[in-house]
Amino acid sequence: MTLPKGFGSGGGGGSSSADVERMIGRRVENMTGMITISFWAAWLATFGGTAAGYFYYPWAYPTQSGHFAFIVLTIIEAIGYLFCVKVMEEGSNKNSNGIVAGSIAAVTIGTILIVSFVGK
Amino acid sequence: MAQMPALIPKEVEIQRLKKIWLIVIAMGSTAASVEVDNFVDGSLHQTSIRDSAFTPAHWWLYSHFITLPLGWGAAAIYDRKIPVLRGPNNSMNTGLKMTILGYLATMFTIGVNEMWHFWFVEEIFAVPNHWMFNMGVVVAFMGALAYVVRVYARLVELGAETPGENPYVAEMYKMALEGKLYSRAIP
Repeated sequence: MTLPKGFGSGGGGGSSSADVERMIGRRVENMTGMITISFWAAWLATFGGTAAGYFYYPWAYPTQSGHFAFIVLTIIEAIGYLFCVKVMEEGSNKNSNGIVAGSIAAVTIGTILIVSFVGK
Repeated sequence: MAQMPALIPKEVEIQRLKKIWLIVIAMGSTAASVEVDNFVDGSLHQTSIRDSAFTPAHWWLYSHFITLPLGWGAAAIYDRKIPVLRGPNNSMNTGLKMTILGYLATMFTIGVNEMWHFWFVEEIFAVPNHWMFNMGVVVAFMGALAYVVRVYARLVELGAETPGENPYVAEMYKMALEGKLYSRAIP
């Protein structure tokens, strides 16, 4: 197989497994950490956005509306997170069910506490 | 059309397609959240007269006009590493072109919309300045669907995803791989 410029053994045209590894870069099944951090960042940003709404613009965004939006968005983000990790790890030996379950459980508890005690 | 010859090793292609898929899932979550915001924004406009565009429901709505074009832009840049996704004459994928065209329309409409609301301080859904938001988003979603189906169909072809059991779905994947999902003439 002809490889892109810079890969392969100097015009021979053959590809070695080292070449393939170099073309892939970080494998998607090893991105669980990054995906988990992104999920947490998205969840915190969602809290920040809805809180800014009901603290600074309560006339436009009652606390109850903010909490409702926060809950729905948390569910959407959790589904996206789950899909990301499961799709990236399918077909590999990696299994991060514990990390995913732990993250989603922690976010669930965090969401319940926030909607119970935070707001105007 | 014959099956596209493999220009990069199969394993490399699967990994790259899945990286595109990662961007797509993140953008799918964003799109789903904006669907929720349509109700938030709609209920706000039914209960209060527009005295400011700077409401939380509008932050949410307008932030997706930044997030999704940036995300599709990232997909378009990374997409160049996957030969099977190229469009006619090695140009950008037709689905991506439609998506970017759709969001360009919405970006233009943001200016038109602000000009309209300078004089008309309301938020009636069906006013003309809102039309192109909706049309732009529909064009963008149509293009995105064509692109996403093609990525998935290729993952099925490479054996990384399960083929559809429904014959109509299987036919759709086949058409997508041949670049004929929406048109037999434009790949």
